[in-house]
Amino acid sequence: MALSNRFAVVGHRLPRLDSPAKVTGLQTYGTDVVLPGMLYGKLFRSPVPHASIRRVDVRAALAISGVRAVITAADIPRAWYGPAVKDMTALAAGRVRYINEPIAAVAATSLEIAEQAVAAIEAEFDPLPAVFDPEAALAPGAPLIHPDWAEYTALPVLSRGGNVASHSRIHHGDVEAAFSACFRVYEHHFTTPSVHAGYTEPRAATARWEGDGSLTVWSNGQLPYEVQATLADILQLPVSRIRVLVPGIGGGFGGKLRISLEHHAALLARAAGRPVKIISTCEEEFTAAHPRQASIVTLRTGVARDGTLLAKQARVIMDCGAYAGSGPGTAAVALQIVAGPYRTPNLQLEGLAVYTNKVPSGSFRATAGPMGNFAVESQMDIIADDLGIDPLELRLRNVVRDGDTGPSGEPLSAVSVEECLRKAAQAIGWHERRPAPGRGKGIACGWWMTTGGSSGVYVKLNADGTATLGSGAVELGTGALTGACQVLAETLGLPLDAIRVSAVDTEAVPYDYGAQGSRTAFSVGNAARAAAATLRDRIAAFVADRFGVAPEQVTIADGYAIAGTDRMRIGEVARLVQLAGGGLIGHGTFIAPPPPHDSSRISNHPLPAWNTPSFHAHAAEVSVDSETGEVSVERYVVAQDVGFAINPAGIEGQIEGGVAQGLGQALSEELVFHEGRVLNANLTDYKMPTAMDVPRIDSILVERASEAGPFGAKGVGEPPCIEPLATVANAVAAASGVRITRAPITAEKVLRHISGQTSRCDSA
Amino acid sequence: MSKIPLPLQVNGDTHDVLIEPHWTLLHVLRGPLGLTGTKENCLEAECGVCTVLLDGKAVNSCVLLAVLCRGRDIRTIEGLGRPDQLHPLQQAFIEFGAAQCGYCTPGMLLAAKSYLDEHPNQVPEPDAVREAIAGTLCRCTGYQKIVDAIRVAAARMQESV
Amino acid sequence: MAFQVHHPESVERAIGLAGELAPDASFLAGGTDLIIQINRKRRAPRHLIALGGIGGLAGIEWRDGECVLGALTTHKTIERCADFQGQLAALAEAARVVGGHQVRNIATIGGNIVNASPAADLLPPLLALDAAVELAGPQGTRRVPIAQFLRGPGSTDRADNEILLRIAFPGLSDSGATAFLKAGRRRAMEISVVSVAAVLDLDANRRCRTARIALGAVGPVAMRAPAAERVLQGREPAEAAFAEAGRLAAEACAPISDVRASAEYRRMLIQALVPRALRHCLQRIEARS
Repeated sequence: MALSNRFAVVGHRLPRLDSPAKVTGLQTYGTDVVLPGMLYGKLFRSPVPHASIRRVDVRAALAISGVRAVITAADIPRAWYGPAVKDMTALAAGRVRYINEPIAAVAATSLEIAEQAVAAIEAEFDPLPAVFDPEAALAPGAPLIHPDWAEYTALPVLSRGGNVASHSRIHHGDVEAAFSACFRVYEHHFTTPSVHAGYTEPRAATARWEGDGSLTVWSNGQLPYEVQATLADILQLPVSRIRVLVPGIGGGFGGKLRISLEHHAALLARAAGRPVKIISTCEEEFTAAHPRQASIVTLRTGVARDGTLLAKQARVIMDCGAYAGSGPGTAAVALQIVAGPYRTPNLQLEGLAVYTNKVPSGSFRATAGPMGNFAVESQMDIIADDLGIDPLELRLRNVVRDGDTGPSGEPLSAVSVEECLRKAAQAIGWHERRPAPGRGKGIACGWWMTTGGSSGVYVKLNADGTATLGSGAVELGTGALTGACQVLAETLGLPLDAIRVSAVDTEAVPYDYGAQGSRTAFSVGNAARAAAATLRDRIAAFVADRFGVAPEQVTIADGYAIAGTDRMRIGEVARLVQLAGGGLIGHGTFIAPPPPHDSSRISNHPLPAWNTPSFHAHAAEVSVDSETGEVSVERYVVAQDVGFAINPAGIEGQIEGGVAQGLGQALSEELVFHEGRVLNANLTDYKMPTAMDVPRIDSILVERASEAGPFGAKGVGEPPCIEPLATVANAVAAASGVRITRAPITAEKVLRHISGQTSRCDSA
Repeated sequence: MSKIPLPLQVNGDTHDVLIEPHWTLLHVLRGPLGLTGTKENCLEAECGVCTVLLDGKAVNSCVLLAVLCRGRDIRTIEGLGRPDQLHPLQQAFIEFGAAQCGYCTPGMLLAAKSYLDEHPNQVPEPDAVREAIAGTLCRCTGYQKIVDAIRVAAARMQESV
Repeated sequence: MAFQVHHPESVERAIGLAGELAPDASFLAGGTDLIIQINRKRRAPRHLIALGGIGGLAGIEWRDGECVLGALTTHKTIERCADFQGQLAALAEAARVVGGHQVRNIATIGGNIVNASPAADLLPPLLALDAAVELAGPQGTRRVPIAQFLRGPGSTDRADNEILLRIAFPGLSDSGATAFLKAGRRRAMEISVVSVAAVLDLDANRRCRTARIALGAVGPVAMRAPAAERVLQGREPAEAAFAEAGRLAAEACAPISDVRASAEYRRMLIQALVPRALRHCLQRIEARS
């Protein structure tokens, strides 16, 4: 379908609203916040992975000139928090569970003094047996990381126990019976390492207590309302006493969903009686932020002779680290991912979120996407090779189509995976899969949700004819708010540059579930559309009254309200209503209706059926250096169903950036642990792709309109990060014959396979 | 540690600042001078968000001691172009959507300017542009729109000579 | 971190300061590495003696058949030096892959040498070019072959009050060529997993007259590979000889396993990259003749 141009604002490649501020250095970020009298905060962290804290002595730190506060667990409310399981405390109380867990916090007049004070804190520990491998943590008799797990508050849907923070299942048909009737059954294991979201702005927070005992926090987190609610838990204050402002965010990608340093800044500021700012260091980012879970996927798939998928059994283990964080949701969503966009009559899928004594994990773009997709799409190629079927053909024989149901029994519509596969295959030149020695092409497809959750917006019409959007969704860099503003402008009959976005301030903007889960343009756009509709009604009513016509006779276009031969500028309407009726403000809300599904298939799954799923296929051509094992990605193609491209340039930017992140995870990125310690906690050895490592990426925007999205849009932001790992793995296999099942696909692993040292590699 | 006076030439202005000897140029720019357009992240010359121009050449201000900048010409993003008077690179970044979160953008723009000034009167090939900006990590864009924007800006700068 | 910075304007004054302030002083060139080391608390000098105010320590010139590089010559200057675009390309190839432009505009060859990182990129080409360093100290100047100057990771033959003034190496005969290769997980911003520099020169009978091979990141210091060099001596520059040189170099090196790569993989890379570097040299020789 051609990119639509029937509209004045949506569907156009318009510059982002925030770009002038960003190219001139005038955009303010969380790290830029400076307050009068501000102190600098720093955390004293655990040197050991698992221990009882015998003693913490902060006297020497307090004695240092310039130190204004030192706090430990004894000085703060004993409050538990966490997004799915309330298993964390702001400072370790009695026990530490990972290296660099915060134990005490210091505020001082300079960062250097704060660092000196941290160095002066003494602590003694009684070591406890630690467990670093999630499979070991599942073994009978494994040391319990949370002996009091049963006392934690958690989402009621979760099934928990011991080191298992959640255990979700999707079950349909009779897998074992089906396996026994299959032509072949394949079983493979895949692993992926923990990776960091890699936002360029470190997490930062500044907190100030106000004269009325309320708290103001400047955050660079993605979810101001979740930060507010979590602070309320930790500080034991009503949410209305906590005001969260987000001045600007230097990238998040899910890594800034959870509270980061806001609570530490707030607790220190309260103790010191002065504002406190904390910025995390690069080392703290890699050792004590919220990286993506490492995963182990065991996948058993049964097929008919012609490659038809008959049964699938999967066990997904997500290594949460020391606290559950986003792990339960990730382990559950992995089940839809390992099912894949394929018809499979028999399913038995289970996902476990497991505690270990390592840095607690969070979310990173498409939570479980890359891990599950790596397993499914690698195995599809293995099956295709074994059956002598072309990998594209095998997929086309099995993909879901309109009218099919998904793994949870949910009816699927606007299904485009076949179109995406065909377009990606054509663009990469699939007919020539191995164009030269050492060169090969790979393909992978997948699906993803448009995350639900509600959005509220205010839209204020200004007397100059512009409109201001107030939303609790932050612009973290994706351009989603420009997309939402395009929807608003289109609906109000205004040009995009007549829309402004108000500052994010929980005291002033309505609730939003937040900038996450590919939902922002979709959900905020829909809420903005609803707000615009109420504004149009009010404009029409006012103008109808003024010109003596019925409201239905008023039309709004090009910045005017028109009634027959009379017309009035929208700005003039706004000005007159300000004088006569308190101005024009529209309130709009949206929540995606819960998708119908077969609940008998589901156990303990917090996201049982996906809202407005999107479909996508990636294809790559790589070359493999047979002497060094080095993999070069020569070409990369993405065909992604975006429903409707609100801003094609912005969507391409999401695809290009998401693929670059996916290629990093495919080829170079991993947190390397030894006994719970991160060995590469710096940007020298954590290898994010540079401009020289990313090829040109061709984006094909498929538009199969959704029912629920604004103008038919579907969620866009996360999917581009899902398929690169599997796509590259499949291309490497085509180019070299080497099948890597343990990400990342480093040159070392490839060369060891080529030279026949595979056993050592696989155990590496 | 006692502070020492240091005159610094930044964006054409002379600033008389009192500094401690171990302060980096980044610290002085963002702290005493309040020029927060220069960003901070890794502080180890790995990410490039702190890039400024020193005598016209891109440098990592996070590992450059301020005391070594006496008498040198320092230019930051605030000195590249204002919203009403954009540099061609800034203009192209806006048009192409080369800034997403924007945190690497100041450093990226100055790395690009340094390279284009070093290679005047040519439109560099995409691979050359990628090499030129490899010292600045961008996690949002995948670099493609940045490369496109820099090449278009180079072409326009050539035309306007 | 807290230190004073001194700005001597002569070599003599800098040496004097270093003597007075020993052992708490460190010379400061570009500082791109030193500042990081201080931030990481690996070094804690109380005095930094900045060398930038001393004239005559930057630049590249030819003197008596030798190429002489001032210690304060930046990587960028080396990368762009016209003399290093032809038969001495290894130097530009090595300088070009150090950090980003932002580092190369500041970081100096002298700093790269005295830091004596096993993975320092300029060291293998300098070793292969038989370079020597010139040091100035209280007793005057002395010259030390770079192979003897490097002693271990971060350790050199330089006394605390000696300044590295310049680096010199003899020019190659007109027929010689050089090459440098580096392996890393990315194509830029990499600390070498291994690096290889080669110098190759053929005699009138098209046999190897000179073959010098140096390896980086596969031992405590950048090292020559003498056995690999010997096996090439007098041989026809063909694949068989190159492969043998690669095998001998891989045997001779002593890599470690770390977060960047295993020792075995580093050996495999040396075995692959030594012949490749020699091939590059040969292609360059042939392209000129």
